[in-house]
Amino acid sequence: MEHTEVLIVGAGASGGVAAGRLAEAGCRVVCLEQGHWPDKSSYPAVRPTYELEARRRWSGSPNVRGLAEDYPVEDSGSDVAALMYAGVGGSMILYAADWPRLLPSDFRTRTLDGVGDDWPLNYAELAPFYERTDRAFGVAGLGGNPALPDGADPPLPPLPIGAGGLRVARAHDRLGWHWWPAPNAVLSAPYRGRNACAQYGACMQGCPEGAKASTDVTHWPEAIAAGAQLRTGARVSRILTNPAGLATGAEYVDADGRWQVIGADVVLLAANAIGTARLLLNSASPRFPDGLGNSSGLVGKRLMVHPFANVLGYFDDRVDSYIGHVGAKIVSYEFYETDTSRGFTRGAKWSLAPTGGPLTSALPTRAGTSTWGPEHHAHVRAHLGRTVSWAIFGEDLPDEENRVEIAPGLADSSGIPAPRIRYRVGENSRALLDFNIARATESLVEAGAYRTEYESLMRYSGWHLLGTARMGTDPATSVTDPYGRLHDVPNVRVLDGSVFPTSGAVNPTSTIVALALRATEHLIANRRDQRTAA
Amino acid sequence: MTATLELRDWLRPLADALIPAGDGMPAASAVGVADAQLDLVLSARPDLNRHLGRALALTAGMAPAEALAALAELDRTAHGALLEAVAGGYYAHPQVRELLGYAGQQPVPVRPEDYPEYLAQGLLERVVERGPIYRQAD
Repeated sequence: MEHTEVLIVGAGASGGVAAGRLAEAGCRVVCLEQGHWPDKSSYPAVRPTYELEARRRWSGSPNVRGLAEDYPVEDSGSDVAALMYAGVGGSMILYAADWPRLLPSDFRTRTLDGVGDDWPLNYAELAPFYERTDRAFGVAGLGGNPALPDGADPPLPPLPIGAGGLRVARAHDRLGWHWWPAPNAVLSAPYRGRNACAQYGACMQGCPEGAKASTDVTHWPEAIAAGAQLRTGARVSRILTNPAGLATGAEYVDADGRWQVIGADVVLLAANAIGTARLLLNSASPRFPDGLGNSSGLVGKRLMVHPFANVLGYFDDRVDSYIGHVGAKIVSYEFYETDTSRGFTRGAKWSLAPTGGPLTSALPTRAGTSTWGPEHHAHVRAHLGRTVSWAIFGEDLPDEENRVEIAPGLADSSGIPAPRIRYRVGENSRALLDFNIARATESLVEAGAYRTEYESLMRYSGWHLLGTARMGTDPATSVTDPYGRLHDVPNVRVLDGSVFPTSGAVNPTSTIVALALRATEHLIANRRDQRTAA
Repeated sequence: MTATLELRDWLRPLADALIPAGDGMPAASAVGVADAQLDLVLSARPDLNRHLGRALALTAGMAPAEALAALAELDRTAHGALLEAVAGGYYAHPQVRELLGYAGQQPVPVRPEDYPEYLAQGLLERVVERGPIYRQAD
């Protein structure tokens, strides 16, 4: 039987970072990825039908795409639909590349606010890893943001904030509210062999320029050159264990549909908080009847997705927000930290976002309106190029009722049982979003919007999949240790957003990759003492 | 994937009811929404063909307004597919984009601003002067 030192499941954000660092350290690495190498020439950005394609083949929902490499997610009973992408680079292929960090208080919500749980590490401990991953991915931004502690500046200057960003920045200046040019993992200048952003405005359907960071362009080429093996079209069904309770490898189905087994000293799970929970639950055995690593009963539970609202502002003048990067033009942390007088705990981050091209303007808006017939042209002209949107991410407090389970009778194209998610927006989140919608409306009115609309909860917003294998120091109340190692199976580690004890209120990819780098270097530093099945 | 003549003939008046001429813009049929643009749409979204066929079967012979109302009532998926096919074809047409002044999806290499206007206007200076807004936590 084939055997490797480290087996990685998933070639996305965390898997790519781990593979690169392990290969650099001389470890023998095999990564199994259910999807394929993305073909940049197939990205729809330059085609006139790109918005049409975004609603199907390039949708973030695996249920909408329905590709063979996707697995279905039963989410009909969930307030928010799960979004992801299967392929080298993972969901980074379709993400917006908004690249904020957690704030210090996010690591201490229990101590500071009496909610959620403290993390088993703090901001200062993670900061050096943030700085290294910022450089590796090529982050564009501006240092000195008073919403964060001091630290190294991003490696590249900020992207232009555009006419809409400037308009809203001036409004916040008058209001005395925080704003800052947003950090984005999109190149503002050529960097490490990659081109700068070409401003197609279609980041979320794949970046044809390679300017948006994703591990297929930032990490995998070097990892493979250093010896890492990456197998695409390889879908893992379960982690295998021995009588001593240690992982021995994994069973998977290869690109030709043949079932295979690969042995490994260490298994790293990097399949996102739905995929990793699914795999752990599917790896149940008489030795681990409730799923692998699940003696706490928390595998799959505490799913957090960041309930997402947005406020749209209409302006008389053109702001042409459809030009340039999609992630965020500017951000505001004015209402991020807890103020108990507001009637809820924790807060939200705002990202000023573009509002799409002509088809998006014509079809029902995020707020649900569309106009056909004689008024249609006026409707489109009012929206296209004359709107901006505050995207509001609220802190999502952990709740064990929000969870990933195995869906009875549902399977992927290989017959592997597929997941179901249950997710409800909690009372605190609802109050938090309502407050921030009102404040964001004030922001856009101050910026000169003659009309605003809002969407109180965007269903297709479940990109930020977090919390289903939380880390901690107590095996009774956490699934992994502070370095992602399963308490129950010490040669299996979780590298993705599953380990988040709480969600914070920012886009999580920068934190996921910083944590993955930290966990990988812990593995490398302790490889001599690593318990293995061999 | 090609649409039948029957489908095109059915689609043309519905498309014009959704997007008529006006405000300096052409009607949907005038830019080929039921013709070449439909071919473009179905090549990008072959999944729509099935739903359009169902929409045709449900509303054949009805006046456009009646057909649109009936579809919205009877089959929301088919109704949504009709909107996507009509608007998708219309707004993919270069004449329509030009008339709208839409300048998106063009490769324009980004150039970081040497001295962005927000710095020149002192906007960030005042954010910094207001001091840190995060809570300390060990």
